[in-house]
Amino acid sequence: MAASISGLLKPWTPRVFLVRWSRYNPYYLEPEVRKEAYSKPEAELSAEEKEQRELKALRPIKAATNGVTSSVFSDPVLSKFVNMMMMDGNKILANEIISKTLENIKRKQVEKYHKAPEGKKEEIECNPYAIFHQALENCKPVVGLASIQKGGKFYQVPIPLSDDRRRHLAMKWIITECRENKHRRTLMYEKLSQELLAASVREGNVIKKKLEMHKMAEANRAYAHYRWT
Amino acid sequence: MALQRLSFRLRQTVTHVRSLHTSGCGQQQAAVVVESEPEPLSVFRTQENDPACQSEKHMGQYYALPSPHIRTLFPHGLPGRFEQQLKTFNEACMMVRKPSLEVISYLKKTDFSKPSLRYLFYGLAGSGKTMSLCHTVHFCYTQGWLVLHIPDAHIWMKNCKELMPSSYNESRFDQPLQASEWLRNFRITNEPFLSKIKTKQRYVWTKREFTEEGSLLGQLVDQGISRVKSSSDVVGAVLKELRLQSGQPESDFRMAVAVDGVNALWGRSTIKKKDKSPVEPDELTLVYNLKKLLTKDWTGGAILTTLSQTGSLYTPKFAYLPQELLGKRGFDSMDPFIPVSVPNYSEKEFESCYLYLIDRHWLQHPQSRTEEGKKEIIFLSNRNPSMMDRICASL
Repeated sequence: MAASISGLLKPWTPRVFLVRWSRYNPYYLEPEVRKEAYSKPEAELSAEEKEQRELKALRPIKAATNGVTSSVFSDPVLSKFVNMMMMDGNKILANEIISKTLENIKRKQVEKYHKAPEGKKEEIECNPYAIFHQALENCKPVVGLASIQKGGKFYQVPIPLSDDRRRHLAMKWIITECRENKHRRTLMYEKLSQELLAASVREGNVIKKKLEMHKMAEANRAYAHYRWT
Repeated sequence: MALQRLSFRLRQTVTHVRSLHTSGCGQQQAAVVVESEPEPLSVFRTQENDPACQSEKHMGQYYALPSPHIRTLFPHGLPGRFEQQLKTFNEACMMVRKPSLEVISYLKKTDFSKPSLRYLFYGLAGSGKTMSLCHTVHFCYTQGWLVLHIPDAHIWMKNCKELMPSSYNESRFDQPLQASEWLRNFRITNEPFLSKIKTKQRYVWTKREFTEEGSLLGQLVDQGISRVKSSSDVVGAVLKELRLQSGQPESDFRMAVAVDGVNALWGRSTIKKKDKSPVEPDELTLVYNLKKLLTKDWTGGAILTTLSQTGSLYTPKFAYLPQELLGKRGFDSMDPFIPVSVPNYSEKEFESCYLYLIDRHWLQHPQSRTEEGKKEIIFLSNRNPSMMDRICASL
């Protein structure tokens, strides 16, 4: 749809220049942040990529948001998690909490690694990013519930969820769990690291919540046909 | 099943690390693996654990501090992040760097009949001044010197929970908590000397308590720890005794006075008197007695000091030169001293630190082990040791 609209529009730049807005004219192209995309020589490009490059020379490009970096250490999933944890726009604090969490996880695992006997060393996962991704995977629910009205009553109907929705639910559960169910004196990064380590081995409160969701879906299996009228 | 996949990925990174080591030594991978295995360790680690035997060829390499030494010598002296690191890695490895090697070589050649020299480590924030001081103090300890280590002079100037008027001199103030804690740590560090050194003067603490002339230093220290009220005066007495006895021909010990954050002694303090006016540094007994020890009156030892902006009060953030941090009065009192600059890591030292962190499995991000990741770490930290530590902590 965007392609057809951009075909109709003539090239134009507005009088008021939009720099940090999130709604752009569909004529604008997405920015390319990765360094590898620019270091490819001419010969390796396929036909579409050559076309893209020529288009980039003519069309205006959206401003890149503050969250994207060309750093080799950037991780889109982790950036999304940071954004969800951010409150009142305090991204610096959210980033600090996450980096302290990763450091904490790494410290605990590396300590265990160095104290473990030779045979057990290979089983201990020390990479905090791998643990985070594993924990997120383990927390993602397979089916979700939707509230569908039929004959005056609302039924909780089990439905398949899209990948984005599953990821969002997993992250939201982790964050709410760590915000609410912790002791007054425990710091956020400490609680987060405990939850992520537990989730990566399928223990802990977030996994329990996911399993409860699955049980509810299984219990309401009879209403599954309410999805379609 | 997920665990098997994870361990497979780990095995891949382990072989990748081994190939990085051998390529770092300039050896072909086709060479016999058995021969090249002990070699990678020598690029960033050295077996020479005695600071007295370390020389320029060990520069940039890590040596292991023996754990009994750490428990006695540094009950409170090491920086907080280093303590965490030695708990995580299960070993304490310090890098041999040029500033501390320089000071150690001067200490080896000192003439103990001349007045003691003052060495000052200065540099940018996070460049390794406290660690250089700890390395030099470790050398003094292994040589059997008596070590008087004040880990941070700034804590005597701020957050004082109890401030008492001094019993000895009406215009001064006591800090019983800090003094008793310092005496406890002094006792742990210098156990053998406590039973050898005898006091030369009679001290009266209250109407009924006094320490006779000729009693052991250990008794004096115990008196200060058990009677917290007079602990600051005990500290003053201990410092006076050691200063008087250190150069004498009959005493066979050498004294090393190590003060971290010496610019606090001439700075401002946040401690307030009852009428809300700030306390001058010279009005505190601990500071007053310590300053007497930093003069060049005594012989038979050395004074090692460090500047510190991080804990200091009312100093600009980017000040690091001696003139800026000590102020006019401090510089005039410390003058003449031997300034030793502590720079950021050189390329070789950075390389060594990077390899050490990979060896200890601290750099876990797969991209951090590539060339691109290394260049990015160099760019972000500018080879500053503490910044590099903070960046690599979350990678």
